[in-house]
Amino acid sequence: MTDPLALDPVLAPGDRSTDAVPSTLAPTRAHDEAYDAWFERFEAHLAAGGTVESTDSMPDEYRTAVLRFVEMHANSELMGVLPERDWIMRAPTLRRKLALTAKIQDEVGHAQLLYRVAEDLGKPREAMFDDLLAGKTKFHNVFHYPTRSWADVGMIAWLVDAAAIVAQQALRNSSYAPYARTMRKICWEESVHIMHGRDVVVTMVTGSPAQRAAIQEALDRWWGPLMQMHGPRSPREKDKDLRWRIKAKTSEELRQEFLTIYVPRIRELGLVIPDPELRFDEDAGEWRYTEPDWDELRTVVTNHGPMSEERLEFRRLARSETAWVRETILAAPQAA
Amino acid sequence: MSTATGLTAPTHPAPAVDGLDELLRSMADDEFVIGFSDSEWTGIAPQLEEDIAMSSLAQDELGHAQALFQMLATVTGTGDADSLAYDREPADYRHARLLDHGRGDWAMTIARRYLYETADSVRLAALMSASWSPLAELVGKLVREERYHLMHVDLWLDRLATTNGEPRDRLISALETLGPDCGTVFTPLPGEPALLEARILRRPMAELERDWRAGVAPTLERLGLPALPATRDPTRGRTDHGEPFTWLHGEFTAVRRSDPGATW
Repeated sequence: MTDPLALDPVLAPGDRSTDAVPSTLAPTRAHDEAYDAWFERFEAHLAAGGTVESTDSMPDEYRTAVLRFVEMHANSELMGVLPERDWIMRAPTLRRKLALTAKIQDEVGHAQLLYRVAEDLGKPREAMFDDLLAGKTKFHNVFHYPTRSWADVGMIAWLVDAAAIVAQQALRNSSYAPYARTMRKICWEESVHIMHGRDVVVTMVTGSPAQRAAIQEALDRWWGPLMQMHGPRSPREKDKDLRWRIKAKTSEELRQEFLTIYVPRIRELGLVIPDPELRFDEDAGEWRYTEPDWDELRTVVTNHGPMSEERLEFRRLARSETAWVRETILAAPQAA
Repeated sequence: MSTATGLTAPTHPAPAVDGLDELLRSMADDEFVIGFSDSEWTGIAPQLEEDIAMSSLAQDELGHAQALFQMLATVTGTGDADSLAYDREPADYRHARLLDHGRGDWAMTIARRYLYETADSVRLAALMSASWSPLAELVGKLVREERYHLMHVDLWLDRLATTNGEPRDRLISALETLGPDCGTVFTPLPGEPALLEARILRRPMAELERDWRAGVAPTLERLGLPALPATRDPTRGRTDHGEPFTWLHGEFTAVRRSDPGATW
C-alpha cells in the first residue's frame, strides 16, 4: 500500500525480498567504463527531475529497484482486500454495502494497475503471485492483523488509507513515469475511501454508547500498527530509492505528516489516542511519540503476524480453486 | 402524493396494491440475494479483471434492490429501503429458489447468472409498459444496465460450454443442480390477477415462463447443454429457502443485530 521498502531496514538480510530480475550483467558491467559513464548520465537525468518510461533504456539496478517497490505495493493492495472483504457480507445497510464493495473493488483495481506496471518491468503476474504466496515477497504490516468489528471497517478506510495516501501522494512525481501516472489515479480514489471511512467512524462515534466504544477500541488496536506502518527512521543519504526519486520522502517525514494532519482530526471526534507521550514539540517543530514497536513490525512483515499465514493460505486456496477458470480463459475454444 | 424518492403515486384501483407489494418485494429480494452472491467473489475472483467486473455486477444488482425497496416503501407507506431489506426473518424473504444454492464455484455462478439474467430480462420486458409510470420508468433504467450483464454472462456461458473437460463438465453439473429451480423467477404471485387487471403486469407469469424457456432453449441446444427440466414444486418457488440462505441471512444481519436500533 505504501513505501514498502521502508520495511527493509528492519529486516535481516535473509528476510529481505530478493531481486526479482537477477542483474547478472552487473558484476561485469561494474568494470565497464562506458557503462559507468552511462549510469552517471542516467543518475544525473534523475537528479535533474527527469523521468523514465517503460520503453526507455535503464540500468538494471534502477529497473530492479522500481520493480521491487511496485511489486510490494501491488501485493499490499491485493492482500489489503482480505481484512475488509470479511465485512462485505455483514455491511449493515444497503448504502454501506455498496460503498464497501466499491471500495474493495477499487483496491483490486489498484492491484491490477500496479501489477501491470510491474509486468512491464519484466516479471510476469503469475510469478509475482507465486512469490507472494510462497512468502518470498512482502505485503504491508497493517494487512497482517484481524478485523474484529464493523468499527474496523471505518478505521481501516479512514486511518490506514490516510497513512497510505500521505506516502502515495509523494509518489505522484516518481521518476518512473508509468508508476507516477498510476499513483495519480490511485490517490484520487483513496481520497474517496478516506471520506467513506470517516463517515462510518463519525456515524458510530455519534451513535450508541456501544458503537462509540467500538470505535475507541478499534483505534486502540490499530494505533500501534499505524505508527509502525511507514517504517523506522532511516538516513536519507543512504536510500537509493530517494536518490533515484522512485519515492520522495523518508519514513519519518511521512509519519510526521500523517500525525500533523490526523491527530487533530482524531481528537476532534473526542477519541483518545493511546499514546501518553504523543505531543507536538514546538521548539523542534515535530511530533514526539512513544517509539513504535519495531520488533512487532519485523515479526509481522516476515509473515509471522496474527493473520499472516491464514490470509496467505486463504489466497492460496482461492487461487487453486479457480485455476481451472484461468486455464479456460487461456485455452483455445473448441466446438461443443 | 410525491415521495422522497421523487416517485409519483399510482392511480390504479385499490385491489392491485396488494399485488404490487408482492411484485416489488419479489423483484427486490431477487436482486438483493443475487447481489450478495456476486459480491462473495469480490477480492477472490479467478482473475483481477474478472474480480472488478463481478464487483460492478454486484453493485448494479444491489443498487436495483435499493431502488425497488424504496419503491416498495413508498407503495406500502412503511419502513425504508434498509428496514425492508434487512429486518425480516428468513422465511419472509420472497426471492426465487433459483438463488438459494450458495455461491458455489465459478461454473455455478455463471449458470445461476445466465438463468437469472435471461429470466429477469423477460420479466422486465413485461413491465416496461406497466400502467403505473413510476414502475415503467424504473424498469427502463434497470434494463439499460441488465443488457451489459447479459453480454457478460453470454460470453462466459459460451466459453465454459465450448471448452471440453473440466469447464464444460462443471457447467453441466451446475445446470443440473439448478435445473429443478430454474423457472422459479416466474412463480405465480398471490396478487397476480389484480396486477394483470390493473395492467401493471401485462402478461401472466406462466406465459412469461414459456417465452423465457423458448428463448433459452436454442442457446442451450447450440452449445450441447442439457435442456431445462420442469420446475419442481412450482407454486412454492419463492418460499422454501434452504440452508445457504439461512447462512446468508445470518451474515447480512450480524452487524445490525449486534446493536438493534442503532444508526449505521
